[in-house]
Amino acid sequence: MGLLDGLLPAYYESILITVGIYIILALGLNLITGVTGQLNLGHAAYMCIGAYTSAIMSMHYGMPFIVAILAGGLLAAAFGVVIGYPTLRLTGDYLAICTLGFGEILKSVLYNVPAVGGAMGLAGIPPKTTLTIVFIVMIIVIISMVRVESSRFGRALVAIREDEIAAECNGINATKYKLQMFSLGCFIAGIGGALWAHKIMVLQPRDFGFLKSIEILNMVVLGGLGSIPGTILGATVLTSIPEILRFSSEYRMLLYGALLVAMMIFRPHGLMGGVSFNSIAKRGMRWLKPGDKPDDKPGQKGMGG
Amino acid sequence: MPLLELNEVTIRFGGLIAVDSVDLVIEKGEILSLIGPNGAGKSTVFNLVTGIYPPTAGTITYKEQRLNGKKSYHINRLGIARTFQNIRLFPELPVLDNVKVGRHCRSKASVFGALLRTPAVKAEEKAIEQKALECLELMGLDHKKDEAAKNLPYGEQRRLEIARAMASDPELLLLDEPAAGMNSTEKKVLVEKITSIRDMGLTVFLVEHDMKFVMGISDRVAVLDYGRKIADGSPTEVQKNPDVIAAYLGKEVV
Ligand SMILES: Nc1ncnc2c1ncn2[C@@H]1O[C@H](COP(=O)(O)OP(=O)(O)O)[C@@H](O)[C@H]1O
Ligand SMILES: [Mg+2]
Repeated sequence: MGLLDGLLPAYYESILITVGIYIILALGLNLITGVTGQLNLGHAAYMCIGAYTSAIMSMHYGMPFIVAILAGGLLAAAFGVVIGYPTLRLTGDYLAICTLGFGEILKSVLYNVPAVGGAMGLAGIPPKTTLTIVFIVMIIVIISMVRVESSRFGRALVAIREDEIAAECNGINATKYKLQMFSLGCFIAGIGGALWAHKIMVLQPRDFGFLKSIEILNMVVLGGLGSIPGTILGATVLTSIPEILRFSSEYRMLLYGALLVAMMIFRPHGLMGGVSFNSIAKRGMRWLKPGDKPDDKPGQKGMGG
Repeated sequence: MPLLELNEVTIRFGGLIAVDSVDLVIEKGEILSLIGPNGAGKSTVFNLVTGIYPPTAGTITYKEQRLNGKKSYHINRLGIARTFQNIRLFPELPVLDNVKVGRHCRSKASVFGALLRTPAVKAEEKAIEQKALECLELMGLDHKKDEAAKNLPYGEQRRLEIARAMASDPELLLLDEPAAGMNSTEKKVLVEKITSIRDMGLTVFLVEHDMKFVMGISDRVAVLDYGRKIADGSPTEVQKNPDVIAAYLGKEVV
């Protein structure tokens, strides 16, 4: 274990770890908001639960990292069920406000719990997150999401997004599926949070507020709601560009704002809206087979020809 | 023993009684049409049967089971599938996937099945695809399977909705104005399709505006007016019924 570690200068390795973690977090949110169409403005709250849970598992119970990660994911998923059960019946603005509210409540609670450091934060988390581990978890999450996409379960989720009444009349128990989907998305957020905790080593409630949720949502929106490759691209771009350009955090928000406005105008469906790995593979196959290119018809040469 | 029976079914939306104490019986294997002026309550009857609204009063019985209070997804599993007057496809999904969704209640892979993709799950997925292709072929849409549903012309969208409904192997098929917006050639094709569906042993409950269409295809016709049933009988009987003629404001029924 450790194949990828130490290959790059520590600074770049750190950026790649951050990118990987945000890809994981954003894929969880893409399942909820992109695939199933349930606007979630509190994704950072589930990341937060995973982060604190895993940190406590590592620090106080001396658990192996894998156990701490899974515990973080599972507790986040459990909260997903508890919060999702009443709120997922709501739609649109109401759901958005409730998810937002939960994030803020969680933050206030953590501020006031001395056992996890309160406003001072929880410090002394062992730095166990390596690039190799993040990469492995990221690959597992990507494969899982691709599998969900082309499954009976995934089709049911998209059907719910597209038309909930038609979905119900076609045998889909929308409430049940939304709840399962939400807890899976929160599980992934929890795992992302656990990895984050063991990288950053200090947790403070204010790091998991509304702005963090919006940051993750931006990644999904930029890439294209519902698109797995798009979400990966969005997370990569929005995590690495500010790091590389060394923006201060105020400018980062400015960049996000400008980017979102530009997206709404030029690419309302995101950079890769509607693109899946499946469709990329299909297109690739078409290009590989000569004489079978749809863009290769005579009289359609393009480029002013 | 009728396949579906509505017994004094009523639904009230605030002050409006949209369906008023309606009795209706559908026998296995027949094509029953429900007609009536706009706003008469026809679509609401479908919404009651498919569990979108619970009736205010009365009972709905399907194969000796009370449907009152059952959820739409449960009713679909019991063998009732439907289309909608204002087409409700999954527009961004490919045509084939729209029909695959229709197979939902006859398949069972869970979220864990999706993640683990066991041989059993793969086999089921193959069977779903097979069934979906059959249904598309039945409705003459197999050549469009990879297109997004939203890109189909109107008439094909209506046929796609029927294909999706057929994927659940229903015993009772509810079609809400399936010919709306179709030209006469498309309507002719549709009549053939509906007839062949009936010949496969299904029972068809049809809501339709086009009188000619209804009279040609139906074994029996029931007429709603302001939520009340004013006639029920063979197409020729109903055509001559003075109440029916009055309800259509003297417009000639044919
Ligand atoms: N969900 C609803 N809320 C309030 N009124 C409704 C609702 N659904 C239908 N109605 C009313 O019930 C009456 C019957 O509607 P509908 O069944 O759609 O008629 P149609 O016979 O044209 O299909 C109409 O007056 C309609 O406005
Ligand atoms: Mg209607």
